[in-house]
Amino acid sequence: MNCQENKNLMDAYLDGELDPVTSQKVEQHLGDCRKCEQAYEVETAMAHAISQAAPYYKAPPEVRERIQVSLREAIGVPTNRGATEDDSLPVRRPRAVRRGVFFDMPWNRLALAAAIVLAAIVASSFLPRLRQSGADQLLATQLIASHVRSLMADHLTDVASSDQHTVKPWLDVKLDFAAPVLDLSADGFPLVGGRLDYLDNHSAAALVYQRRKHFINLFIWPTTPADTKARETVTREGYNLLHWIEGDFTYWAVSDVSVSDLQNFKRSFEQQIPPH
Amino acid sequence: MAATLEAEYAFGAEDLESRAKVVKFAVFQRHEQQRAAQEHELASFEATMLPHLDAAHNLARWLMRNEQDAQDVVQEAYLRAFKSFSGFHGSNGRGWLLTIVRNTSYTLLKKNRAADLTTTFDEEIHASGRESVSPAAMLEHAEDAELIKNAMNALPAEFREILTLRHQEELSYHEIGEILKIPTGTVMSRLARARTKLREYLTSQTTQEK
Repeated sequence: MNCQENKNLMDAYLDGELDPVTSQKVEQHLGDCRKCEQAYEVETAMAHAISQAAPYYKAPPEVRERIQVSLREAIGVPTNRGATEDDSLPVRRPRAVRRGVFFDMPWNRLALAAAIVLAAIVASSFLPRLRQSGADQLLATQLIASHVRSLMADHLTDVASSDQHTVKPWLDVKLDFAAPVLDLSADGFPLVGGRLDYLDNHSAAALVYQRRKHFINLFIWPTTPADTKARETVTREGYNLLHWIEGDFTYWAVSDVSVSDLQNFKRSFEQQIPPH
Repeated sequence: MAATLEAEYAFGAEDLESRAKVVKFAVFQRHEQQRAAQEHELASFEATMLPHLDAAHNLARWLMRNEQDAQDVVQEAYLRAFKSFSGFHGSNGRGWLLTIVRNTSYTLLKKNRAADLTTTFDEEIHASGRESVSPAAMLEHAEDAELIKNAMNALPAEFREILTLRHQEELSYHEIGEILKIPTGTVMSRLARARTKLREYLTSQTTQEK
């Protein structure tokens, strides 16, 4: 092998792309020819420089989140990014982050959360005036948790139907009360389905409505004395909760739509409810 | 499966509901099943392709030479990849994704600055380069990350991408050829030219310093 042949094969030799026989020939030439050996050392240094010294640009974490959000938008799974102007949410977190709250939370943060809950319980037992608001907070947490869980894949509804006469009998069989089920699609809140839930130590009906690309969970259960003291609206973690009592039932609407949207929803629901 | 449960329910609902409503329910159910299938496909896509996000971003970053364009390219490439994911049956997910990242990058490069794509490579310099720098000088420069980065960025796009694929992703000539849609022999000669060009840049920096 002469120097020109060697020069032509050197890149492939460097990249380990030569067959064993040719590779050995190059090796032999490099052993014999000082000039070619030097050139090869330069090549090796260059290759090393690119693989070691040139920056490898890893994707920043927000790129992954943005991709996951845009992929979900592409198949029409609702995300907070589809929110319209009148949604006055303080924080809009992408869906991917919301999912992580329950499954990926590190143990030390869970422990911290547990400590805070414990502290809250201890404090509330010493300060009776705080007890009610503590209970409210706990309920709000449960309601938001149930709402978020319902938006995860395949948990939205137990009975998927836009027909109130399908959803209502299904729920009536499962529950020990007959919750009102109304289709509000005329007012822009189509019924998506119903679900069973367990909140605040009793079973509840959860009706799922849609508002544009957002979902509203409406939780209904028979009113207990504690329910009458709850505040009308709660805003937490970017979710709005609206509470009202009508007839024998307590209602909690939970969603990431605005408070005014929830109030329209309540008005629409109350107008269609059959009189007692 | 949820679909089975729903199907059972649909059967049970017949007692309660009129025929028309059952049909309506069945249509709704089919819609739900389609959506479940889409979500399943998305989960499978993410499991296959998200592990290559860093590789995708790195290639786009070198091709676009700025972070904002790189992020736009990567996001667009993932959307394109998802749309044609049903056509992906191979085992080389990284190569498949990088092909799409590259195509997306070139679309944007062509739109933004066509001049960047033309290789202003002077073949004449090719002969002079190889022996002029001592290995010691080269090794000295090899540790200068900033210099290497600037040298890489000074190269035309086709050299930046082939150096990245070979030395950072450590792909074989065959894999590189599939991504760049060129024969293996061309991969070899283009890599050689890219390295020569890079060496020339480093040499010129050395001359300037002295």
